[in-house]
Amino acid sequence: MIRVLYILRELGRNIYRNPGTALGSVLSLTLLFLLFNLFWVAAGTSEAFYRELLAELRMEVFLDEGMPDSTATQLPREFYAIDGVLTAEFVDKDQARKRLTDLLGMDLLIGYDTINPLPRSYVLTMENDVLNTSDMQSIEERMYTIPGVIDVAYSRQFLEKAESTRDLILQVGLFLGAIILATAVISSSNNIRLMTKARAIGFRQMRLLGAGKLFVGLPFIIEGFLIAALSALLSWAIVWYGHSRVVFTQFSVVLPTGDDILLFCLAAGAVGCISGFLGIRKALQ
Amino acid sequence: MKEPLVQLSNVELRNDRGDFVFRDLTFKLLPGQSAVISGPAGSGKTSLVDLLIGLRFAQAGAVEMFGELLKKRRTGAIRRVRRQIGGVGGPFGLMPLLTVAENITLPLVLGGVRRSVQRERLFKVLTEFSLLKQASEYPHSLTRVENTLTQFARASIANQPLLLIDEPMAGLDRGTWERVHQVLEKVALSGRSMMILTSELPPQELPETSYYQLENGVLQ
Repeated sequence: MIRVLYILRELGRNIYRNPGTALGSVLSLTLLFLLFNLFWVAAGTSEAFYRELLAELRMEVFLDEGMPDSTATQLPREFYAIDGVLTAEFVDKDQARKRLTDLLGMDLLIGYDTINPLPRSYVLTMENDVLNTSDMQSIEERMYTIPGVIDVAYSRQFLEKAESTRDLILQVGLFLGAIILATAVISSSNNIRLMTKARAIGFRQMRLLGAGKLFVGLPFIIEGFLIAALSALLSWAIVWYGHSRVVFTQFSVVLPTGDDILLFCLAAGAVGCISGFLGIRKALQ
Repeated sequence: MKEPLVQLSNVELRNDRGDFVFRDLTFKLLPGQSAVISGPAGSGKTSLVDLLIGLRFAQAGAVEMFGELLKKRRTGAIRRVRRQIGGVGGPFGLMPLLTVAENITLPLVLGGVRRSVQRERLFKVLTEFSLLKQASEYPHSLTRVENTLTQFARASIANQPLLLIDEPMAGLDRGTWERVHQVLEKVALSGRSMMILTSELPPQELPETSYYQLENGVLQ
């Protein structure tokens, strides 16, 4: 307990004796984390937007003209046997015509009252998990194996573009995250190293008196944790404040959950611990 | 038979140029015994202190302190040994960012001694070494004499079994030295052991103490 108290007192002293360095660390890390947070929010918002769009995605399965209606009505059983198919809605020729008219605003089939050339189809909705190019492609291939299915259509290009955009966002996020992680570690460990340089004689004395590395180094490791975790918390507070002051009408901004933010702060704290350890390591050798 | 506090067996140590500092050095200090090792500058006194506290390591032979063999990778043993030594002078300085009182109580903090006991013992040694006025000062504002006395106070507060003193007379006037001598005398009679390494022999002899001469790495 006495040793723990001493370590905590040393921690307080480190910050008290070097307020500029501590404040500088907090501010620079806050800015870094803020940048990361904004990207996180942007990525989360675009992901939600992407999910909303994907939820509208339908697969339409067109049927052979020669297939009797009695057989066509049995097809949903085969559709549901395919993993990922959620609902199947039958569209007969009249409904297809109405849909086309609704879509174009005019009836192109005037004069075709007796012979409607539009095919019958099933409009399928999919589970969220399969709304990606590879799963949709394999579902499409399965559809073609069903007797009576002559064509399968869905917005493949949209799906591909949406996926590539999402991948790009993910890659930028990883790159940005890696840069921020490296900057956070280097910047805060350098700050701690600067603080330790002034105290190198003291460390040597402590070691000569029999203090272990952990005893001497722990205040700096805890300091790294506190500075990084506090900076992370501060950066989220800024984002939260900004979110509460600015209203977006076109889309809703998606913020991470409280648990995610807590995890982020703890992870930032862990990065701070590593920085603290790296900062003190040489001084303890 | 008592286990020796210090046991050097056929120790060989070379400096960076490869010259021998010690060749076949053998020495033993039993609990309760004290030794004064004197020698001119360059005779190896500082190297000997370094060996005893694990700052340097013998190239051949064995250095055992309190029954622990000191080797480079045995950091746990080195730490345990250092905690049993009260050091003054040489490599043992004060922590510049701690007050006199905090410097003195550091061995107690490391030993996990309760604060009430720390305060009690602190008051005792501050009084003994006339450092009450300087208790809240930082080392940079101390005179050389006060600095040395603070180190003595730190080395006395935890009653470690071995007091290791490098050049005890350095920077002390005669009056202060006499006070320090009284402390050393008390230590020598108290059953604690002392190893004093000095370039000039103290003016008065210490009781229960053996005297050695270190010259060219050989102990006589």
